[in-house]
Amino acid sequence: MRRRDFIRLAALSVLPPALALAGAKQALAQGIDVDAILRDPDAPTGGNPDGDVTIVAFLDYNCPFCKKSAPDLERIVNEDGHIRLIYKDWPILTEASVYGAQLALAAKFQGKYETVHNALMRIPGRKIPQEQMLKVVQGTDVDMARLDLDLKLHGAEISALLKRNLAQADSLGLQGTPTYLVGPLLASTLDYSSFKRAVAEARRRQAAEK
Amino acid sequence: MVMRMLPRATTKPFYAALCVIALVFTGTGPAGAEQKPLQADEAFRLSATRTPDGTLALRWQIAPGTYLYRDSLKAKRAGASVALATGPGEEKDDPNFGPVEVYHRAAEATTAGLPGAGALDVSYQGCAEAGICYPVVNRQVDLASLRIEAAPPASFADTAPAASVPVALVASEAAPQGAEALFNGNFGLLLVAFLGFGLLLAFTPCVFPMLPILSGILAGGGTRPTPARGFALSGVYGLAMATAYGVLGIAAGWSGANLQAALQTTWALGLMAVLFLALALSMFGLFEMAMPAWLAARLPRGGLSPKEGGSLAGAGALGFASALVVGPCVTPPLAAAMLYAAQTGDAVRGGAALFMLGLGMAVPLVLVGTFGAQIMPRSGAWLSRIKQVCGVLFLGVAAVLAARLLPAPAGLALWGGLALGLGVFLGGLDRTIPGSAPPARLGKATGLVAIIYGATLIVGAAGGGDDPLRPLGALAGAPRVASAGVQDTRVSSPAALDAAFAAAQKEGRPVLVSFTAGWCTVCKSNEAVMAEPGLQSRLAQMPRIAADVTAYGEGERALMSRFSVVGPPTLFLLDASGREVPGSRHIGALTTADIEGLMAKAGL
Repeated sequence: MRRRDFIRLAALSVLPPALALAGAKQALAQGIDVDAILRDPDAPTGGNPDGDVTIVAFLDYNCPFCKKSAPDLERIVNEDGHIRLIYKDWPILTEASVYGAQLALAAKFQGKYETVHNALMRIPGRKIPQEQMLKVVQGTDVDMARLDLDLKLHGAEISALLKRNLAQADSLGLQGTPTYLVGPLLASTLDYSSFKRAVAEARRRQAAEK
Repeated sequence: MVMRMLPRATTKPFYAALCVIALVFTGTGPAGAEQKPLQADEAFRLSATRTPDGTLALRWQIAPGTYLYRDSLKAKRAGASVALATGPGEEKDDPNFGPVEVYHRAAEATTAGLPGAGALDVSYQGCAEAGICYPVVNRQVDLASLRIEAAPPASFADTAPAASVPVALVASEAAPQGAEALFNGNFGLLLVAFLGFGLLLAFTPCVFPMLPILSGILAGGGTRPTPARGFALSGVYGLAMATAYGVLGIAAGWSGANLQAALQTTWALGLMAVLFLALALSMFGLFEMAMPAWLAARLPRGGLSPKEGGSLAGAGALGFASALVVGPCVTPPLAAAMLYAAQTGDAVRGGAALFMLGLGMAVPLVLVGTFGAQIMPRSGAWLSRIKQVCGVLFLGVAAVLAARLLPAPAGLALWGGLALGLGVFLGGLDRTIPGSAPPARLGKATGLVAIIYGATLIVGAAGGGDDPLRPLGALAGAPRVASAGVQDTRVSSPAALDAAFAAAQKEGRPVLVSFTAGWCTVCKSNEAVMAEPGLQSRLAQMPRIAADVTAYGEGERALMSRFSVVGPPTLFLLDASGREVPGSRHIGALTTADIEGLMAKAGL
């Protein structure tokens, strides 16, 4: 592995009690609405809805590190089988990132969020223009006419969700993309084995909290 | 809440609590003592100075372990962008992200000719080596005091209300490009445009089969009807035809379904191929294109009543039916129009547009009906020639459609058969006698060429070839057959892939899986790249599985979703346990460097 494998997993000391629904007040006092982060009804989800560990992924479609770790995230979620994945589109890098997020979130209305998300994450590069994103999405089995319609019908909802995501990232003081909240832990780019360790550590901590 | 790039204040008190425990899980040892990555405004510190000649110099201090992208340094004044002169950065070539220029430690940008007062908006973006990309940072430089201030919201901060997917791009596969502007224009213009399209279509061979039907109606009485009667009959016929298209348009408008996808299904392709075959045979005179007797008998009062010429009702019924008969012939434009109708979701608009299309197609028919055959060129041997040419064209279209349903070599064989047949009909096997006229000899020569080409295609197909321009390539030393040891097993279902993988696995090497399709031209050029002499011999050691998704049936779909493949060309390596090797996926056109990288990953 060429990349220096430096990983920071900072414990989110506020989150575990919040997960246990005991310390929500504390979190709220600090301006963090934990429930909103973990249970936003509009946020697209993946993995096992009843999973015991939740990974919240703050991502941007022009973020090279997000793209680098996306396959590993996908793999840990599939292989572990007990991970609940929450996607937080956090378009902060380019204008096209916002467009990509809108496409993906609009596809959610036809149950194809992950199709679009994965397709966009697989375009290598950090300056993918809107046209290229659209082309790639057209190459999926997404119904484009429906997508267009959903963008029109639910545009306000999508914008509101993106703004909520921004506010949440801000309240958490996140530095950039990718940021993964793995249970009570916080990390940036991870590879498969680090994801695995992070998930194990999250389980251990959650068990200790009980 | 706007898209605030950074916490305004210094690190939030909360954040300190958040990071009480910093855990480093990986075995980087001493790295464990390292700090967490900085916030963007800690990583990149901007300052501004003026040189004596008034040039503004922007300087960034870049913290260790972080970098700025050269192309991200931007400046704007009063909304207009200001050119920045920047020095060359360090080339950073990560195979995942492509070559980029970055600055470490420090960066500088200069711009001249700015006024002494006002504000300059500067934005920049970078990442930390630790694997995080910072949001775009926006700062404002006060041109008088050169103080740096937090800038108002970033350019794309306030997420624009949902950007709509341009309809033009959605329909780009089928809709004629130029038509887009018309589609969005006013209703009257739309109708005129479609009438025009219809008129154009009327001059394609598509309308040919309608002529015998119409003349059957007109000549029903044995004598020629008066112009008035002819006009009435052919007018009703044309109106009915236009109505049939209008109904299609309304249906498309209502359904809003993805018609393009529907038209690509095996059923639709097969049906269209059969219809074109029938059209072709009728052109060759095997049968007359007319209503089947059982249908004609059910038409009101008999469409071809012997006494009074055709009845109006009969003409109408025939017009409606024959629109459907020639439907497949006008499929491409019709599909475009229907797609448009489906997208608008507006049944009235869609219906009206297609009605006008049908009306346009009917105009020449009405002229013929009214003025009779005078305005038509006299029929004769030339007409049957033209019909035969149309027949050959229709056969070709049928072959194109059918080839998409068949394995590539079978499609090649189909073309071979077509060429053979054409050659025979051109007289390639006829005897020429010493007195044969030049045209006959020319026909024979052309026919022979077609026969030889057709035979070559069939031989090539038998040898597994699929390229009509190099039918014998597979036999004559094309790479994948000629090089011993290359496993390029073609599969089109998950089960077949598993079997092929198990077989390839015996060699204990990563397996290259490539998704390809007969219609995928980039795949072909990728294969050509792989066949380059420098790569071929090394590539030959890598077991390869080609996932052919030309047909796009259930197996192909399952295969694509299993590996989350959007479409061909997509390549990746599977390791010994059948997992995709991270970072090995390539989508789109390949370069030799890509293949080198793949081989390096595979340990070759």
